Amino acid sequence: MVELTIGQEVEMEYGGKAKVLKVIGSGGQGTVYQVQYNGMKWALKWYDVEKMRNPKAFRANIKNNISDGPPSKQFLWPKYLTKENEDGTFGYLMELKPDSFDSFVDILNTYKLSVDPLTGRSTKKPVRFTSLYAMTTAVINIVNAFRQLHRAGKSYQDLNDGGFFINVDTGAVLVCDCDNIAPDGNNFGIGGKPGYMAPEVVRGVAKPNVQTDKYSLAVVLFKLLFRGDPMEGEKVVKDVCLTESSELKHYGQNAVFVYDPEDTSNRPVRGIHDNVIKFWRIYPDYIKDSFIKSFTVGITEPNKRIIENEWQKLFLRLRSEIISCSCGRTNFSSMFERPDIRTFKCPKCGSMFGSLKFSNRQFRAPLYLGCVFYECEIDPDSEDFQTIAGELVENKLKPGVLGFKNTSSMTWKAKMPDGNYYDIEPGKGFPVWQGLEIDFGKVQATLQ
Amino acid sequence: MSNEQKKNPAAGAAEEKTAAAKTSAADPMDIDDDDPLSATSVSKKSLVIFFLIDTSRSMVGKKMGELNTVMEELIPEIRRVGEADTDVKIAVLTFGTQVRWMYAEPISIEDFEWSRLRADGVTNMGEAFKELNARMSRNSFLNSPSLSFAPVIFLMTDGYPSDDYKEALAELSTNSWYKFGLKAALGIGQEANDEMLAEFTGSPDTVVHAYSGGQLAAMIKIIAVTSAQIGSKSMTLSDDVNHELNAEEVLAAKQKLLGQQIQDSMTNLGNEAASFDTGW
Repeated sequence: MVELTIGQEVEMEYGGKAKVLKVIGSGGQGTVYQVQYNGMKWALKWYDVEKMRNPKAFRANIKNNISDGPPSKQFLWPKYLTKENEDGTFGYLMELKPDSFDSFVDILNTYKLSVDPLTGRSTKKPVRFTSLYAMTTAVINIVNAFRQLHRAGKSYQDLNDGGFFINVDTGAVLVCDCDNIAPDGNNFGIGGKPGYMAPEVVRGVAKPNVQTDKYSLAVVLFKLLFRGDPMEGEKVVKDVCLTESSELKHYGQNAVFVYDPEDTSNRPVRGIHDNVIKFWRIYPDYIKDSFIKSFTVGITEPNKRIIENEWQKLFLRLRSEIISCSCGRTNFSSMFERPDIRTFKCPKCGSMFGSLKFSNRQFRAPLYLGCVFYECEIDPDSEDFQTIAGELVENKLKPGVLGFKNTSSMTWKAKMPDGNYYDIEPGKGFPVWQGLEIDFGKVQATLQ
Repeated sequence: MSNEQKKNPAAGAAEEKTAAAKTSAADPMDIDDDDPLSATSVSKKSLVIFFLIDTSRSMVGKKMGELNTVMEELIPEIRRVGEADTDVKIAVLTFGTQVRWMYAEPISIEDFEWSRLRADGVTNMGEAFKELNARMSRNSFLNSPSLSFAPVIFLMTDGYPSDDYKEALAELSTNSWYKFGLKAALGIGQEANDEMLAEFTGSPDTVVHAYSGGQLAAMIKIIAVTSAQIGSKSMTLSDDVNHELNAEEVLAAKQKLLGQQIQDSMTNLGNEAASFDTGW
C-alpha cells in the first residue's frame, strides 16, 4: 500500500492541505494518521485501496455519508474527503477522539498499556467504569446510537468491540470506524469480526444489514455487561483448539447460547468464564430474558431480535434501579432484599430504601441520597435520557431531611403533609414524606 | 454519615423493618462477590507464536545482528495484536549444535524481552523439530485451560539441516497443533533450501528468501506481523461467498490467507545489492 510519510501534505477535496503529523494506528482497511488542517488537528484515515473490492463505490458512499451528516452526536463521523490520487488512493478526515475516552477493547481487557516513549517499556493502567451509572449510561448510549443510525436507514455492517470509545466516568460513547456505514441492503465487502457477526453472516448465507447489526449489538451489550462471549461455553472449550471449522460450527451452524434454557450443552466453565457466571446471577430477569431471546430464537429468526428501542427501555429501567447504599454497596435493586413491595433493604448493612411509583412504569424506582431521574422518565414525549430532571438531596439547612430538587425547566406540583398541592418551580425542592405525590405534568409519581 | 441519614426518605416505615430484617436468618445473596463493576478481563483465547531460529556458526555477524535487532524492535510493535480476544505468548527455540529455548516456557508478549542470540555450531534442525513436537502439547507449552488458536510457527535458517530432519519432520507432522498451525519459513542467503522449507510449511507460498540485511529485517517483520495478526483472530470466512459454507471449504483458510498476504507483501519489497553471501 502507499503509506503517507510524516510531514507529507495531502490535498483536500475542496481545497487546502492536511499535513501528516504522526501515525495513530492501522487496521485492516488502512492507516489512521493525525494531521493538521485549517489550524486544527484531525484524524485522517488513509485507505489501502488495493484491498478494496470497489474503491470508487466506497468513496462515493463516504461522500454520501458526509453530506447526510451523523445520525447523532455519538458518532466520529467522516467530515472531509481528500482528493483522489492518480493511483486511486484517498482518505477522509474526522475529529480526533478526546483523551477522556478509552477504547472498548481496553475496557474489556480492564487495562491499557501505557508506553514510556524513551525506554519503550509498557506499564498497565487500569481501565474500568467508575460508577454503575456510568456503565449503564454507556449501554444506553450505545443502544441509542444504533437506534439513530438505523432510523436513518443505514447499517453499520461490522459492529464489534473495536468500534467504540467510552468515557468511563460519564458513560459517554463515541462510535468510530463509521466508514463502512451504508444504506441498509448495501454492502462494500466487509464481513465483520467473528464472534460479533450474526450466525447467518458467518455461514455465508447473508450479507451484513440492519438485522445482522442487531445481533452484533446484542453481542456488544453482552460483552459489556457480562464480560464474556455469549457463545463460548463448555461445548466450544471441548474443542481445545479453535480451528476455522470449529468457528464455523460454534458461531455459525450450531451456535448455542451459554444460558440457553433448553440446551445446557454449552454452559460457562468455572475457571474460564467466571465473569459470565458471576454476572448472570446479578442481573435482573428482564435483562437476562432479553439476552436469552436474542441468542436463542434470535439466532435463526432475525426478525425476532430485540429492537434498539426495547433495549433502550430495558436499560433505562436498569439504570433507575441502581441503589447506592451509604455503606458502600452499590448494586441493582434485584440484588437488594425486598421486605415489601415499596421497600428495598441492603443485605449488607440493613439500611432501608423507599421507592417511587411512576404512573407510566410498572416497576418502582428505589430512592437513596443522590439518586436522580431523567427528562425522558417524567415526560413520555422526551427522548432525553441524559438531562437530569430531579435529584434526591439533603436539605442544606436541616441535615438528615431529604427531599427532591426540581432540576428540570418545568414546574411540578407536589402534595405536602397538609394535604394541599404546591407548585414546585425549577430549582426548588420539597421534602419527601410518606404520603408524597408528585405531578410532573404528563406523569405522576407516588411513594405509596 | 449518621445513622439517621443512612435511612431512606420513607423513614418512618423503614424503622421497624430494620429490626425485623436483623433477625431474618438466611441470606439468599452472596454479598461479598456481587459488585457489577468488579470484572476481570474477558476470557481470552490463547495463541503461542513459536520462533525456530537457526543459530549455527554461519549465522554469525550481520545475519545474527539484523535478526536480533529486528526481533527486539518487532515485539513491542505487536504487543497489542491480541486486542480483547487473544492472549498472545512467545516461545523461541534456537538450534545450533544444541537445541535451546530462550525461556523455559512461553512468555506473554506484553512482558516478553528479547535476549540477544549468538551463533555457533552446526544446524541440528531435526533435533529442533523433535523438541518442538514434544513441547507442542497440552501437557507442556500449550496448556492454557481455555481455548487456543492453532500456534504460529516461524522457522528461520540460513543452511541445510546437518542432521536427519526428515524423520523428525514426519513425526512432527502427526502433531495436531502443527497440522492446524500457521507455518511460515524464511531462508537466509544462498545455502538455505526453499524446497526443504516448503516441506516444513506445507506450501511454497509461505516460504520467503532473504539475500540481504535489509530484506532479512523486512521479511521477518512482514511474516511475524502478518502471522500474528491472522493467528490471533478469528477469521471472516464468508467475505466472498454467497452460499452456505461447509467445513471442508474453510479448512486451512488461515494458512492460505497467510500465504497470499506474504506473497503480496513480497512483491512490494525491492531487491538490494549487497547480499549476505558476498564479501565474507
